[in-house]
Amino acid sequence: MKTIRLHIYIIAGLLLLGACKPNIDTPKPSHGSADFTRYIAVGNSLTAGYADGGLYLAGQMVSYPSIIGKQMQSVGGGAFSQPLFSTTQANGSGYLSLTGFNPNGTPITTPVTTNLAITGQQAIPGFGNVTLYAKYSGEINNYGVPGIKLFHITYAPYGNLNGYYERLLSGNEGTHTTAYLDFVTAKPFTFFSNWLGNNDALGYATSGGAGDVLTDKNTFAQLYGLLISKLTANGQKGVVGTIPDVTSVPYFTTITVGAILGAVQKANPAAQALFINALVSGTTYAPRPATAKDLIVLTFPTSMIGQPVSTPYGTLPYGLTPYSPIDNQYVLDQNEIALTEDYINSYNATIKSIAATNGLAVFDAYTFLNNIKQNGLVVDGVSVNSGYISGGLFSLDGVHLTPRGYAIVANEFIKAINGKYGSSIPAVNISDYNGVKFP
Amino acid sequence: MRKLLLLALALAPVLSFAQGFQVNLEGQKQIGMGHTGTGILQDGASVFFNPGAVAMLPQNYVQAGISPIFYKSDFNPSGTSVQDHNANKIAYPFTFYGVWGPKSACWKLGLGVYTPFGGLNYWGNTWQGKYVLESLDLKAIYFQPTLSIKLADFLSVGAGFVYNRGSVDLTQAIPLANGSGQPGQAELKGTGKGYGWNAGIYIKTESGVTIGITHRSQVTTTISNGNAIFNVPASLQSSFPQPNTFNSTIPLPAINSIGFGFYPCSKWVLALDVNLVGWDIYKTLSFDYASNTPALHDTHSPRNYQDAVSLRGGAQYKANANMALRFGGGYASTAVRDGYVTPEAPDANRVYVTGGLGYTLAKHLDLDVSFEYEHLMKRTQTNIESQLAGTFETNVYIPGISLAYHW
Repeated sequence: MKTIRLHIYIIAGLLLLGACKPNIDTPKPSHGSADFTRYIAVGNSLTAGYADGGLYLAGQMVSYPSIIGKQMQSVGGGAFSQPLFSTTQANGSGYLSLTGFNPNGTPITTPVTTNLAITGQQAIPGFGNVTLYAKYSGEINNYGVPGIKLFHITYAPYGNLNGYYERLLSGNEGTHTTAYLDFVTAKPFTFFSNWLGNNDALGYATSGGAGDVLTDKNTFAQLYGLLISKLTANGQKGVVGTIPDVTSVPYFTTITVGAILGAVQKANPAAQALFINALVSGTTYAPRPATAKDLIVLTFPTSMIGQPVSTPYGTLPYGLTPYSPIDNQYVLDQNEIALTEDYINSYNATIKSIAATNGLAVFDAYTFLNNIKQNGLVVDGVSVNSGYISGGLFSLDGVHLTPRGYAIVANEFIKAINGKYGSSIPAVNISDYNGVKFP
Repeated sequence: MRKLLLLALALAPVLSFAQGFQVNLEGQKQIGMGHTGTGILQDGASVFFNPGAVAMLPQNYVQAGISPIFYKSDFNPSGTSVQDHNANKIAYPFTFYGVWGPKSACWKLGLGVYTPFGGLNYWGNTWQGKYVLESLDLKAIYFQPTLSIKLADFLSVGAGFVYNRGSVDLTQAIPLANGSGQPGQAELKGTGKGYGWNAGIYIKTESGVTIGITHRSQVTTTISNGNAIFNVPASLQSSFPQPNTFNSTIPLPAINSIGFGFYPCSKWVLALDVNLVGWDIYKTLSFDYASNTPALHDTHSPRNYQDAVSLRGGAQYKANANMALRFGGGYASTAVRDGYVTPEAPDANRVYVTGGLGYTLAKHLDLDVSFEYEHLMKRTQTNIESQLAGTFETNVYIPGISLAYHW
């Protein structure tokens, strides 16, 4: 009997020890001078959670606004709803998946084409075909619309031109008349994030300066001022993001002129240079040899190099003579880069100045991503950089982010908000979010 | 021709090794008195505490003890209210001592088997620092044959040879996700050995105060051909060749000690110890892999430790012929400089208090129990290498029991 009692004492004692965990006191969470009751996120594909060349449920679930919205809940934030695709249509628009590597180490990506939310296509007169997606009619806090430019926010028929916006609107395709700015401000809100403007430069850049135009600087400033005045009309506070440098994303830095030329010279040592059709000035383009300062887009099919093409001067190898240069759409040449950077610098000056005037917090994505490009970043034992796939920050499309990248961006937004408004929105655990998924 | 460079995947397993791994649990009587024992005589544990004192022991000893460690760490990541607790895992440091010599001789032989360094810490695979460490199980077992000689009634000396058998089993997550988003894992697992020595002097002064001085040498423990197991997505396995092995060297530091014993009356013993621990030798931690790839480099992590000091005091009160009560405490400075704190044993300056009870079970048989509570000060750090930022705090609870047979 006595030994049994002794055993009980010992066991009770050990259980007691198990309970003696240290606990570190932390400051009481505070919303500071901001009110997070209804937070809305305004922006484009980055805000929507677009990744791997598509918008799909898993990406939406780790969008930076959804991470911020969740973290805000400990400091008075309300529910955060997103226009999610249903689980049966979880693959949304479809996206790229990494399925292996070639023997030379280059990645193999394969489009995911099952369980899509695509409902059809409709021809819009004067515009072209618009892909339509399953409608969403529930609550929305994340208004991110892939593809949207600042340039579009007051354009009433825009809902007819962008399937990602169309799916949020009631009514039929072809009949929409609600401008984006009116749509996002229709319901009262207390706090906003705004990361619009990327596509005003990126659309031009990703098409090699061929398929789109840069939004005029004054138009940008005028629209940004209008946007912020509407968003702050009832004294709301918010945070805005600047526009990243195009050369900081792997879409432009992965395939290099040197790498292509090196591969060409292995087969044909006589090859001296790659030729591109480069911007001279204004709208004048002329062929010239490519240099390391010209950027080749990630989607360039490198197998085209050296293929015979017929020209007025006879059949010539593609990309290797001044008469058969690489098409403009695949190259952001040195002058186009300079032009783009000039516009981005102007846009960012506008963003910062309007934010300062209105007392808004600023996440300087331009500086942040350039810094990562220069120095990389280590977070909780994880090293990230701007490299394609291996960098862990950018998804397979080379422009949008991985879950890890979006979580890092969420923390930067949170840092900016806390710094400005004295709030203590907790940082998110980056270790919970993965980079590119490997087969 | 999309040039993919996996170079950036370079992996850096980081095993730190700190004051936190010094296990000061080498005898229940001594633990009870704040882990003092360099300058006093208690029992066979003198083989560890002061080989020079062994010849002064009035009897021969065979004894064994065990001191389970409940190591409770908490990590609060900066900018959050999250509390990451380590798992409830118990380490079992043990001691065995034998001391023998003819009654009339001026010498004694001793053997000690004890665990002066070790660590067991499971943070798990969901916490914020999982890419730094998931778990660590580290053991160092010292085998120490000893010879001690009494040179005069007031002076004895002794020395021992140390053979260390060490083992390490470390896991950390690798930030390479598979198709379902789960990260990879690295496990480094191996055993190693090292050699060293120790020596001591024990003096009984005319005033009655006893003094002990010891030196325990550095024991450089080399792990060779440990298993380096990398569990990564199949398409990346060739960058992490399997099977693979690693070599690493861990210097266990030298310790210089001086201890005093005071005997104010027949029922009381007071003891004081000062230790200087030479962690300064620990500059870098390197892992050398047998097969390297562009993604798997050998690693060299800076540690830059500083020497550490500990101060210990304790007392024993002989309540009656069969029972002794003990208590004590101490303070130890950290070996780990700011910026180098890691989750393996999140080191900080520490204080501890101890208590103990000795009971004579039978004529030749002592039962001793001890309890130690140790508190590692809260320390807020951003690690230079991993950028893991937050606050660590640790409490340690160590009950212990031993049996000593003496004749």
